[in-house]
Amino acid sequence: MTERADAAPSGRLARLASLLLRPEDAAALAAFRFCFGVLGCVSALRFLAYGWVDEFFVKPRFFLSYWGFDWLAPLSARGMHALFVALAVVSACVAVGFLYRAAIVLFLVGFTYVQLLDVTNYLNHYYLVSLLALLLSFMPLHRAYSVDAWLFPKLRSATLPAWCTYLLRFQVGAVYFFAGLAKVNSDWLLHAQPLNIWLSSRTYLPVVGPLLGERWVAFAMSWAGCLFDLTVVAFLLMPRTRVAAYAVVLLFHTATKLLFPIGMFPVIMVVAALVFFSPSWPRNLVAFFRRRAPAPAPALPAPAPLPRFFGARLALVACYCAFHLLWPLRTHLYGGNVLWHEQGIRFSWRVMLREKNGSVTYLVTDPRTGRTQEVPPRKFLNGRQERDFSTQPDLILRLAHQIARDFEAREGVRPIVRAHTPVSLNGRPAELLLDPTVDLATISDGLARATWIRPVPQAPPIHLESLAWHRP
Amino acid sequence: MQNHSQVSPPPPRRWLQGGSVARALLGGLFALGLVAGCERIAFYSTGRPPPDSNEGSTTASSSSGGSSGDPTGGMGTVTRATLIDAIATCNLELLDTFQKAAQELSTAAAKAKTDPQARAEAQAAWSKAIDLWQRAEPFQFGPGGPTNTPGGQGLRDTLYSWPLVSRCLVEQNIVSKAYEAADFGTTALINMRGLAAAEYLLFYTGTDNACNPASAINTSGSWAALSADELASRKAAYASSVSSGIAAMAGKLLGAWRPGEGDFDTQFRNAGKSGSAYTTEQMALNAVSDAMFHVEIQVKDQKLARPLGILDCANATCPEAVESRFAGRSRVHVRNNLVGFRMLMSGCKDGEGVGFDDVLTALGATALAEKMSADVNGAIAAADAVPSDDLAQALAQNPESVKQLHDAVKRITDSLKTEFVTVLDLELPQTVEGDND
Repeated sequence: MTERADAAPSGRLARLASLLLRPEDAAALAAFRFCFGVLGCVSALRFLAYGWVDEFFVKPRFFLSYWGFDWLAPLSARGMHALFVALAVVSACVAVGFLYRAAIVLFLVGFTYVQLLDVTNYLNHYYLVSLLALLLSFMPLHRAYSVDAWLFPKLRSATLPAWCTYLLRFQVGAVYFFAGLAKVNSDWLLHAQPLNIWLSSRTYLPVVGPLLGERWVAFAMSWAGCLFDLTVVAFLLMPRTRVAAYAVVLLFHTATKLLFPIGMFPVIMVVAALVFFSPSWPRNLVAFFRRRAPAPAPALPAPAPLPRFFGARLALVACYCAFHLLWPLRTHLYGGNVLWHEQGIRFSWRVMLREKNGSVTYLVTDPRTGRTQEVPPRKFLNGRQERDFSTQPDLILRLAHQIARDFEAREGVRPIVRAHTPVSLNGRPAELLLDPTVDLATISDGLARATWIRPVPQAPPIHLESLAWHRP
Repeated sequence: MQNHSQVSPPPPRRWLQGGSVARALLGGLFALGLVAGCERIAFYSTGRPPPDSNEGSTTASSSSGGSSGDPTGGMGTVTRATLIDAIATCNLELLDTFQKAAQELSTAAAKAKTDPQARAEAQAAWSKAIDLWQRAEPFQFGPGGPTNTPGGQGLRDTLYSWPLVSRCLVEQNIVSKAYEAADFGTTALINMRGLAAAEYLLFYTGTDNACNPASAINTSGSWAALSADELASRKAAYASSVSSGIAAMAGKLLGAWRPGEGDFDTQFRNAGKSGSAYTTEQMALNAVSDAMFHVEIQVKDQKLARPLGILDCANATCPEAVESRFAGRSRVHVRNNLVGFRMLMSGCKDGEGVGFDDVLTALGATALAEKMSADVNGAIAAADAVPSDDLAQALAQNPESVKQLHDAVKRITDSLKTEFVTVLDLELPQTVEGDND
């Protein structure tokens, strides 16, 4: 946004422009770029080291693609491994700022491609990584503390426009806020579920273990988690409370990391929350450890003149922000309990809200003979895919369509495909998720409200009592 | 050209001047990094830190979950640890009993090798051994379980490999007398030895074979050259060989568990402590839960749904897919599988004693405990209601009874896959752990 002069700023637009284009010390964003690259590299290496490339992208016989992305297919085994090696390399390039522009775009494309291959791999923090990569690909974060700046002096700049920081803060703030908003539901606040279930099975942990089986602890943690998510951004934004808020961020994410198998999520959020600190925080940190005054902040240039198409660019950014403010709320258009019907649950920062397990059996009827056969999902899916799939109506529908296609190709007639789908949500007695009388082969996938999903069970979630792990 | 204005460096933040806060923050970051670096690769490969062995325990009183009397034998409390102890005791008793039965089978088969009149005795010994083994099928964790599980040695398949059974391979061995090798019963391919092969050899008296007409034993005439007496004699010798192998493998499995030998029993009971293959008690219970899913794929689908013609069957029914085609005990096998499942679910002594239902009850999931116990008893009753021990015959006589048995088993597996794993926060089997959020 700083390259070319446009018309002279005036009025509100000028004030906005001066705010967004104000030069700031590039140190914080360079540090963020470094941390982001390192996290991307570690994530890719984890997939390779743990054998997840094979488990997630090579071994599955069937991939549950995202709506509209049926055309996307995984590469060969060698290709997928090479892709993850490439992701590790380009992430490292992002970290050190080497060929940064190309590297961040390649990372964005590669990482997002991987995530789009199979819905059962969806995780909120993977989505966040893709969004951050998208934003970073528009930001010139290689102008300072980078190999690019070292190799190409013309690129060098000790400052970056403030909009970069604002946009990253918006994105990270949205995650926390909507994650908190999603916790404002009766299961979480009034029944302390699913934390009660999860904590009750972790009473073996040292020191805190015996407490975790207590219901009041689950309630306390539920309310604290909700309040944390809803308010932490405000506290991180205020300079006076920033340090304390970040300490709470560290405490919160360390606790979740210790308690739950949530992989890179806590680390990503701890790194992401750094965007709330002042632009010069790395200088101050280095100075502190060297026990001397911080290096002088760079000379801050006067705000740049309006870049070309500033208005259009601003509108684009506004659209991006508006989208990310509205999109997580789309589930309210469907009504009901999103944890049950799951319409609009993805890409809405609904993090760790449900302990949900299901069992799916397809009943495939030949309309010519009336003969019905069972088709277990394991014919198509591996154990990990089946676990995630069996509670998500749109995925059950998608596999039903595949089963119908296979049957039609084999028998020459479209079968009737129904599904028996008992599901337990947050310890409620299992009830059928889908209407067992509906022929799923005739249902079109889409964004419309799914009438073939049964209403949420009326029973409340279970309340577990304290149960000791250790020998009496 | 841009105008640059030099600004004075901002003063160090007060928090940085403070020092301790910054160090604490960095320490926290470092700790988080360490935690991230030490995360689990897969559910079974590592685990959470073992609990402090000196940690005091809290207790919770519980009901017997449908069982009469005190399931804890007077302790008055049910914990996951007492459940692990109960399962370990039950497992050891079961394996000990099975090992004795396997030894009896070996003795009886050896006798039948030289005395054709003793074949009925060998058949009875086989029936006794397989009945016990079928009860032990849902207990296949630890040394009996797959090699990719904690302590897994894959010993289950060396004893009973169904549905991996090859009648043709057995018949080829009859021709080649490969079974005469001293270690045949313990080293041959699993689909040509064990209880399944012994069943064919002890019960099938036909002179035909199941090999392709183009196979060597048919094209060479070597099978046809065997007289009925010679065939019976070789089957008896083969049965003796595999029976002695069964006894040896049963001893190996028992030894792998028994204190003083392999002592996996202690590892299982000490889950969560140093030296155990299970880094947490939850992990040990998850291993048991995984083994209990035998009732889903093997019992519900392979033993019932397929013969019923509702799964992987091109015809109206597939009676040829039933288990125990030669001894005709497929219904008994299913019943014994369910009895074994009940030993875990409701307690070792016919549903009495500590079982998963007691833990569920202690946790407050009384309705689920009662439902699952009732469903297991209902499935056993449905098995009793099938009119023939041979499901192939039952399918011809009263297919609805077999369907009812299937539906009764499905009620169990539906609960197992939904509420049971939810309430106990267990992972489903064959689930590679990745990240969650």
